[in-house]
Amino acid sequence: MDTASLWQAVLGEIELGVSNGNFVTWFKNTRLLKIQDGCVQIGAPNVFIKQQLEKRFNDLIAETLTKNDVAYTTIEYKILPTSSLNSRRVKDEPVVLQNQTAQPVKVTNRPTAPTSANSLTHSYRQGLNERYNFDNFIVGGGSELAYAACQAIAQNPGTKYNPLFLYGGVGIGKTHLIQAAGNGIIAKNPGASVVYVSSEQFIQEFLDAIRFKKNTDFAAVYRSADVLIIDDIQFIAGKEKTQDELFHTFNALHQANKQIIITSDRQPKDIPTLTDRLRSRFEWGMAIDMQAPDFETRCAIIQSKAETHNLSLTPTVVEHLANYVQNNIRELEGALNQLIAFCEMRNVDPTLEVAVALLGNTKARPKHLSAKQIIERTARHFQISVDELLGPKRDKEIVVPRQIAMYMLRSELHLSFPKIARELGRKDHTTAIHSVEKIEKEKAFDNEVRVAIADIKERLYA
Amino acid sequence: MKLQVTQENLNRALNNVARVASTKNALPILSNVLIKTIDNRVCIAATNLNIAITHYIGSKVSEEGSITVPARLMQDFVASLPSGIIDIKVDDTKLRIKADKYNSTINGTVADDYPVMPQINNGSTWNVPAAELKKALQQVILAASNDDARPILTGIFFHTHEGHLYIAATDSYRLAEKRIMPLAQEVKLLLPASAMQDLLRIIGDADEEIVVTHDDQQVLFTVGDVELVTRLIDGVYPDYRKLIPTSFSTAAVLPKAELVNITKVSSLFARESAGSVTLDLDEDEKQISIRSIASQLGENTATASAKVTGTASITLNSRFILDGLGVINDSEVSVAFNGKLEPCVIKGVEDKDYIHLIMPLKS
Repeated sequence: MDTASLWQAVLGEIELGVSNGNFVTWFKNTRLLKIQDGCVQIGAPNVFIKQQLEKRFNDLIAETLTKNDVAYTTIEYKILPTSSLNSRRVKDEPVVLQNQTAQPVKVTNRPTAPTSANSLTHSYRQGLNERYNFDNFIVGGGSELAYAACQAIAQNPGTKYNPLFLYGGVGIGKTHLIQAAGNGIIAKNPGASVVYVSSEQFIQEFLDAIRFKKNTDFAAVYRSADVLIIDDIQFIAGKEKTQDELFHTFNALHQANKQIIITSDRQPKDIPTLTDRLRSRFEWGMAIDMQAPDFETRCAIIQSKAETHNLSLTPTVVEHLANYVQNNIRELEGALNQLIAFCEMRNVDPTLEVAVALLGNTKARPKHLSAKQIIERTARHFQISVDELLGPKRDKEIVVPRQIAMYMLRSELHLSFPKIARELGRKDHTTAIHSVEKIEKEKAFDNEVRVAIADIKERLYA
Repeated sequence: MKLQVTQENLNRALNNVARVASTKNALPILSNVLIKTIDNRVCIAATNLNIAITHYIGSKVSEEGSITVPARLMQDFVASLPSGIIDIKVDDTKLRIKADKYNSTINGTVADDYPVMPQINNGSTWNVPAAELKKALQQVILAASNDDARPILTGIFFHTHEGHLYIAATDSYRLAEKRIMPLAQEVKLLLPASAMQDLLRIIGDADEEIVVTHDDQQVLFTVGDVELVTRLIDGVYPDYRKLIPTSFSTAAVLPKAELVNITKVSSLFARESAGSVTLDLDEDEKQISIRSIASQLGENTATASAKVTGTASITLNSRFILDGLGVINDSEVSVAFNGKLEPCVIKGVEDKDYIHLIMPLKS
């Protein structure tokens, strides 16, 4: 039996005989160095442990060795060099004074990071999915600018648009774009360390770091990144300590001209309880509003997705799908996948009839909604009462919700203008026309209105 | 065990010792302090397996014995007792304490399980005045690193060079070195900075000789009645001496207070840039000025007149400058360097023993 497995057997037996605390403290990091001429040599990590083994556990060790058929006359204890015990430590690296690049926390030795990262939960590139690249991103009107910015970053990370802040609703391709940027950087420079995390993961790791006292590891991983990508930053709202940590990480990276890319579902100034200093930093580089794809882009997305599945769709089916889901590419893909799966299983062609039968008619969709529901939901969203909404008051806080309600009645239920006016207790249908037009216009540039409409819709169909 | 001690002595001993006992360890007994009688003295001891501190206090021992009790509780309890005589008695695993109107029992564990305090057999010994060592440690310890990934840099390097005892520390961005005193014997020890922090606390205002005993694995500092044993960090300390420049192309001499002032002012504008400030030395104008820029806040230039040789600039971390100035005792200091990528040396004009070296920032 070699010394390692013999010692394992001995330790296994000792572990049963002493308390866990004793075992972990005194025995865990010991080694059996050699057995020679009747002398057993045992290595201990430090002088305290060596003395304890000599004075208190010598008999126990002797007894256990005998049980394992080891013939010996003496036991000797030696102190192991530190480096042989702890692989986390950086070995044999010459220590020289070094100029700092302007940040006090510079981690000088990259090799520590990947190993120490094991104690955190991800390695360098985890989170980056190679499936996402620029080639399979379909650029539409709402995402042109974001696409161009991400491509510029992939070419020259850290020089332009730093930080890049992308915001927009769910399922419009934010994650795809930033992952493509990350993959693009790695493709161009395979040595780059690209760290991609969701803010939820960042928070979790920060908590773990506090809990297991690994703050330096945590800082080492994030502050040594060449590119830091954080997805869905809005979840950091209200987490003050994490915001602090992010703030310092942000500064360290930005000072060193490392690229930072962040996404959120809304603008930095709309994220509640985000500290001002983070907010101002997010707004520092370039903030780009990504908007839902237009009809043509949706059609292009469907066609390209269908091609990857080797399926050809007729233009009418594509148009039906593009009309069926209007705001969310993820849902769009879902609908397409549903159609593909259905056709494969039933072995039928994806015709318009099949699509309509499977997904239902777009126009048929909001049938279960009533005007009353829309009005109530809108009122509740703005935290005013239905009576106020329907009443005569013309304060701004009530007028805007009233106009949004009219817009919703028009866009969701396709009601006539006179009917809309009646639903809201107005006599004149021109009020309704004006309101709907106004909201349609505002929707194009006022994010607040857009968010409100999306939110109300989401709740209506939930 | 049965004995009498004064509250003052016991309190002082517990304050020195209990800090070491840690609740974070896997072995519960390590959060206890050991109380043990030796002849007519009581020894209070604790260890975290990296360092061990033992404090001996005089007492009237009427029955020998030993016990361990939770360190925190014992310390807090004794600290809140009135001064005067305390009666201590051990029944099995219970420690009974009686003082004035207080009567309490603390549940402990038998001392047999407590780790053996390390001993040094046939090591070499030398002495150093407490005040000297304290001053030297205070001047050097701030330059030690606290990054465990590079254990060597978390140490304070005690060594002899040309017949003198030196201590030095560096985190690879700055370096501090202090010459303490002439010492005939050869010394080369790398001690954990954290243990030296504990030593500083123990030294306090003591002004006696500290006896240092060491073998190749551990060092024992004896400060009066207190003993501190720490392990050595193994590894070879970098040959830092060749990094200290001997001549300078640019230098300025000015009152320390003025340099502190202009650095502090500039550091206000350097918070965003990790404390980065630029020093401009101008021989013709006979002045030193410190610049800093904060992209959002604004910028600042603070100037002081100084004896300057050479005209050049260097960018440094203002926090490091202030740290360095904070431990220099002279009223006049010199700032000297060779070009903006070479180390900058700050030292007192009169003080030939202390040197503080800061690496510039690449701006």
